Amino acid sequence: MSDHKPKNIFVQGPINPAFIGESIAKHASNTKIGGHSIFLGQVRADEISGKKVAAIEYTSYQEMALEKMTEIREAIFAKYPLTCMHVYHSLGVIKEGEICLFVFTSSAHRKPAIDACTECVERIKAELPVWGKELFEDEGYQWKVNQ
Amino acid sequence: MTTQVLFFGQLTDITGTSSLKMEEATDTDQLKQALYSQFPGLAAKNFLVSVNQQVITDKTKLQPNSTVALLPPFSGG
Repeated sequence: MSDHKPKNIFVQGPINPAFIGESIAKHASNTKIGGHSIFLGQVRADEISGKKVAAIEYTSYQEMALEKMTEIREAIFAKYPLTCMHVYHSLGVIKEGEICLFVFTSSAHRKPAIDACTECVERIKAELPVWGKELFEDEGYQWKVNQ
Repeated sequence: MTTQVLFFGQLTDITGTSSLKMEEATDTDQLKQALYSQFPGLAAKNFLVSVNQQVITDKTKLQPNSTVALLPPFSGG
């Protein structure tokens, strides 16, 4: 699993739902897979003291994030019997209702796929140097805080 | 000796820039003090410090051309 060049996970702009469908379709040829687990993060139109979040602008310390993601990927592959794992995270302005995170794990059986997907999402949120700026509908912004 | 300093997230609201060069700092404590006097608002903020992409917890010596980053709490996903 060790890869010297970190794999890029960042995409500029939202993740297109059609791309998600195509990613699923590509796995049809791997007949060892018995279960997929997918997490999709969607930008929520939160309301904060009367102001509505219209979009989130994501920025990252990309080199460090990709190194960290490689470390997370290796740890997850060491822990769970996965066939594959794909991660995509948006950068730039993502509007409410659009997809900003796509984590996709596959395994022979459901449990490792589900558990690995959950762990991967949690680690992405806690450990990747990525920041979200919640842009209000009218004007102004606030910095997103992960729960 | 020059150190490249990077700021991210809400810290850029205080610094008004995402990067700058600092001279003369030989360790991360000196660098932080210099940054606090230039940007007093930073002192009240919560952030991690990385040197050449490695998060550090103790005072760390800086080599010429080190890159130091100030990382506020992450909020990806």
